[in-house]
Amino acid sequence: MHKHAVLHPLALALLAAAAAPALADDIVVGHLAAYTGPTSDVGRPYGQGVADALNYLNQKGGINGRRIAFQTVDYGYNAPQAIATYKKWMSADAKPVAVQGWGTADTEALAQFAATDKVFFMSASYSGHLTDPQGKSQYVKAPAPYNFFYGPSYTDGCRGVVQWAAEDWKRKGGKGAPKFVHMGDNHPYPNAPKEGCAAYAKELGFEVLNPIVYSLKPGDFKAQCLSLKESGAHYAYLANTSGSNISLLQSCRTVGVDTQFLSNVWGWDEYAEAAAAGAGRSIVWVVGAAGWKDDVPGMAVVREVSKVSDAAGSEVRPLHYMRAVCGVFLMRDAMLAADRMAGGITGTNIKAAMEQFRDHRPEELGDVCLKSTWTAEDHRGTNQVLVYQSTDKGFEKIYTATLERRPDWLGW
Amino acid sequence: MSGGHTTMRCGEFRTSYRADTTIFPTPMSRRVALGAVVLAASFPLWLNAYYLNLLIQIGYYGIAALGLNILVGFTGQISLGHAAFFGFGAFCSAWLNNRFGLPVVLAVPLAGLLTTAVGMFVGIPAGRLKGLYLAIATLASQFILEDFFARAEWFTGGSAGALAQPFTLFGFAFNNDQRFFYVVLVAVIVMYLAGANLLRSRDGRAYVAVRDHYLSAEIMGINLTKYRILAFGSASFYAGVGGALYGHYLGFVSAEGFTILLSIQFLGMIIIGGLGSVMGSLLGTAFMVLLPEVMEASAQGLGGVIPGLKDSVAYLKQMAIGLAIILFLIFEPQGLAHRWKLTKAYWKLYPFSY
Repeated sequence: MHKHAVLHPLALALLAAAAAPALADDIVVGHLAAYTGPTSDVGRPYGQGVADALNYLNQKGGINGRRIAFQTVDYGYNAPQAIATYKKWMSADAKPVAVQGWGTADTEALAQFAATDKVFFMSASYSGHLTDPQGKSQYVKAPAPYNFFYGPSYTDGCRGVVQWAAEDWKRKGGKGAPKFVHMGDNHPYPNAPKEGCAAYAKELGFEVLNPIVYSLKPGDFKAQCLSLKESGAHYAYLANTSGSNISLLQSCRTVGVDTQFLSNVWGWDEYAEAAAAGAGRSIVWVVGAAGWKDDVPGMAVVREVSKVSDAAGSEVRPLHYMRAVCGVFLMRDAMLAADRMAGGITGTNIKAAMEQFRDHRPEELGDVCLKSTWTAEDHRGTNQVLVYQSTDKGFEKIYTATLERRPDWLGW
Repeated sequence: MSGGHTTMRCGEFRTSYRADTTIFPTPMSRRVALGAVVLAASFPLWLNAYYLNLLIQIGYYGIAALGLNILVGFTGQISLGHAAFFGFGAFCSAWLNNRFGLPVVLAVPLAGLLTTAVGMFVGIPAGRLKGLYLAIATLASQFILEDFFARAEWFTGGSAGALAQPFTLFGFAFNNDQRFFYVVLVAVIVMYLAGANLLRSRDGRAYVAVRDHYLSAEIMGINLTKYRILAFGSASFYAGVGGALYGHYLGFVSAEGFTILLSIQFLGMIIIGGLGSVMGSLLGTAFMVLLPEVMEASAQGLGGVIPGLKDSVAYLKQMAIGLAIILFLIFEPQGLAHRWKLTKAYWKLYPFSY
């Protein structure tokens, strides 16, 4: 009996660490976040956005009165850690019906697990490989039927900025074929758009150079900048996150590179702009939702959401925060729709509800989010790419690319 | 305490060489070991998945740690690349299964053998190098293999990693913690018995001779180069099998999992457990696996009392491991195995211990 008495509180403490104390009526959601590790620069604001939005929805009565019980786990951008966490969730009594995930390596690895377990999976990875629910594409290893994300895929985002670059080249009166280069770490996230985007750049008349590798962990990248300078590239696409990009741009400024830098949705934000001290001026990148200072309908709600973790309302949230809120509200909408279906809120019903959305966006968020459409064959939520540039006057929207939904681009 | 006069003996008397080299020194220790196995076999019936997961981790890391202990503790070599071999086994088993459809039950030992081959190749410098120089040579193999994992698309799936199918036997899938626990339990028993046996063999004694005084060993006719390379091979076999079990348990293998940090953790396991002790390898692994969990649980518990503690759990875990290694080096350089021996001796002589 003594042993039991000693074990019991310990077991409770460990269980508390293992799973959120979910009540029978709760909707269980897992939240994988990267508050540490090489992508923590953008992982923190995004993860905070997810947590704030879920807490906000709970304050407003949850899903038809049912609370969303979620547990945030910082997996440090270590894919095996994410898999282990997911398996831990799935072996608990209250299994999650949905997961708000993070990175590309872990989301792509978990896609098959989610399909087997029928768990709705919304990721912060916008990898093109996740857009093919039926595995028709020759570029995906396996279908990802339960995977969704909010915004254009990495490859579509890259295609968007490449489209801008092609017009920019013409406008500037450039002669001959402009040179394009992909730069990023050898990791699933920077690799995701590499081939698809290079193929499109070729279509548009670019000469595509050999990719240059630089680490996701910030460092001294002068060697890479010298290679870039030597290659004579006119446009360089930075596929890493902002932390790594800041050091690259600073190294390149030192070396004296005059390439036009392009980047993806995680590649630049307000924090990076401040930290780079001007080194990032003129960078062109993808933005997936309204900015904190934009005065569009719906931002008032985002500011309310932000107050969940910042009661004073003084914090200025970077771009990623708004996309996180959009993603959670979309999941909420799908859950509400699933609640009206036979069987209620299950992973399968949430997926089915998502696939019925046509030009949908969460109502109270107004113009903050892009309109999204998912179908049972095509999980490319949006084909609109908002292209922004960092200028002396701040961030400016300079271009909107509306890409075709080409069937050969599905899953690529 | 049932065995009548066997417990009445006033000392350990061995009258034959055979008796001196049994795996279990006393009948009692054999009974305790058997009892422990029976107890372990009952765990899935009454422990939840969380505890089983920790035990499974102790199992596959423990197998790999024993391999490193054979290399470091018994043969006196050093390796900073053990995690890379652990990873090679994981990728190799997944590859054999995915690419050639080899059943997992065969892929695991075969992966161990292929890892042995790689380990012996990498161990070749050990024939020439000693101490710090050898450490750096093995460090190089760690980085070479890590880079290979991230680039060899055909073998590892490149940076995206590879999926590994669950362990199946006659159509029965060991696809949850309750079931996989038995796979790991059997593997641990087999590998630990094999390890204990190896050290009673001619080769095992040669390992120890190489460690204790390489010059004397050579004069006695032990081929130093052969045994040093063989030690790397044995260590890699254990690492490969441990890694393969890890891969099939997790269902996914990624290059990120096998960094230098894991190599250092393996070293930490055997230092904490006790260099040159088979039992210590398992004790040290258990300590290293459980320490972060206990840290997290206590941080959660104290989170209400000390604000901000919960947020720093990630750092605390890493720091605790470092601190544990330092404390063990200072206060218990012979590891948990030694502490366990002292405890046993204390109770054996109780209440008349000196």
